[in-house]
Amino acid sequence: MPHQCTNCGRAFADGSKEMLSGCPDCGGNKFQFHPSETDASDDPDPSAEPPDPPAPESSVARTVGSAAATVRNLVGNSGTGAPDPDPQTPEETPAAPTGPESRSAPEANLPSTEDTAQSNARSEVVSPDEIPTGGWNPTDDTDAGSPDAATLSPNGSSTETDTGEERSAEDAGEDRPDLTELREELNDQFESIKVLNPGQYELNLMELYDREEYIIALQEDGRYTIQVPETWHE
Amino acid sequence: MGLITDIRDSISRSIASLFSAEDPKRIGIYGPPNAGKTTLANRIARDWTGDAIGPESHIPHETRRARRKENVEIERDGKSVTIDVVDTPGVTTKVDYTEFLEHDMEKDDAVRRSREATEGVAEAMHWLREDVDGVLYVLDSTKDPFTQVNTMLVGIIESQDLPVLILANKTDLPESNIRRIENAFPQHETIPLSALEGDNMDEVYDKIADYFG
Repeated sequence: MPHQCTNCGRAFADGSKEMLSGCPDCGGNKFQFHPSETDASDDPDPSAEPPDPPAPESSVARTVGSAAATVRNLVGNSGTGAPDPDPQTPEETPAAPTGPESRSAPEANLPSTEDTAQSNARSEVVSPDEIPTGGWNPTDDTDAGSPDAATLSPNGSSTETDTGEERSAEDAGEDRPDLTELREELNDQFESIKVLNPGQYELNLMELYDREEYIIALQEDGRYTIQVPETWHE
Repeated sequence: MGLITDIRDSISRSIASLFSAEDPKRIGIYGPPNAGKTTLANRIARDWTGDAIGPESHIPHETRRARRKENVEIERDGKSVTIDVVDTPGVTTKVDYTEFLEHDMEKDDAVRRSREATEGVAEAMHWLREDVDGVLYVLDSTKDPFTQVNTMLVGIIESQDLPVLILANKTDLPESNIRRIENAFPQHETIPLSALEGDNMDEVYDKIADYFG
């Protein structure tokens, strides 16, 4: 039972393509890795499994625990610079998928021992009739999450002119010459907060946590106010 | 002469540390938006001081600045534990004003709320780095706890060696699933509660006294 739906508990064989379109039972799109050597009592029939959440000692716990340990190691290393006395094994990181995005990068760090089901799943393309209708659409996430800063219009409705992209960009530039520039500058300097559009932000919690200074006020034009630590005044 | 000075310094340091140990612990209430953090903060403050900390709302990101209630004295088993309660803005990786439009909010207000919420997340993370001695991590037990935000925050809290209690809130709702939260964070104690209804608050206070007293 290498993978299990975190929502309903349904198990999937290693390399199963069923998971790629979400859990057929509940539609869940989060799966935890469950190494076979840690589970001697595999149930070959997933439908016979009760949907109860697994016991605390199960791999759900270990998965999140190992993800938390990864964060802890990252923080510990970046915060103190001290060497980590208990470095995690390299196998643990790819074994802790916590979100749908983790399914989209199977090429990274291919394991040396790959069984036929895994290589099959990796090499073959799922045919359209294998994908349940109404399931998760991989383009939903990727399209929604990548608005282009260059298409921003500070005037809101000024892009109705049909004279081409360059024209509208120039118009925007005349009104607020450095708006896009300022926003890009903010994005470059503060990876901790990304201004996608006015009122739409992406936050990098690790960066926010790691910075000694912190952003106390944002403005829509890309300006910001930060507070610096008192030690900087010396 | 030098020896006497050393001894005097040593004594004054001991006294200073003695007093600082008695300072109230500053307990941060953390968690994702709409988990019930302010409802819990108000419940604790009302139960022990009679005051509230801040307004509650079903619209996410109602709390956009950290709010503090000092010297909340909790009595357990004849002893009393004094803490400062810090209610922090909900932590998230994405803030989008369109989410607020669904709550009949004007666009300008929604954009402003979004900006303030983002500042609030920055403030919450800053407090976590600098200013809290312990954490009450509040989760909505009707929601999936396996999220990037929860994993990252709990990881950071653990890296700081801060004492933390996981509170599985909203047990009054039928979809509440305590087991799922226990499974997500087995390394920590999970306490079910309904901050809104006041259910199981006695256990919450027992554990606060245990962990932060």
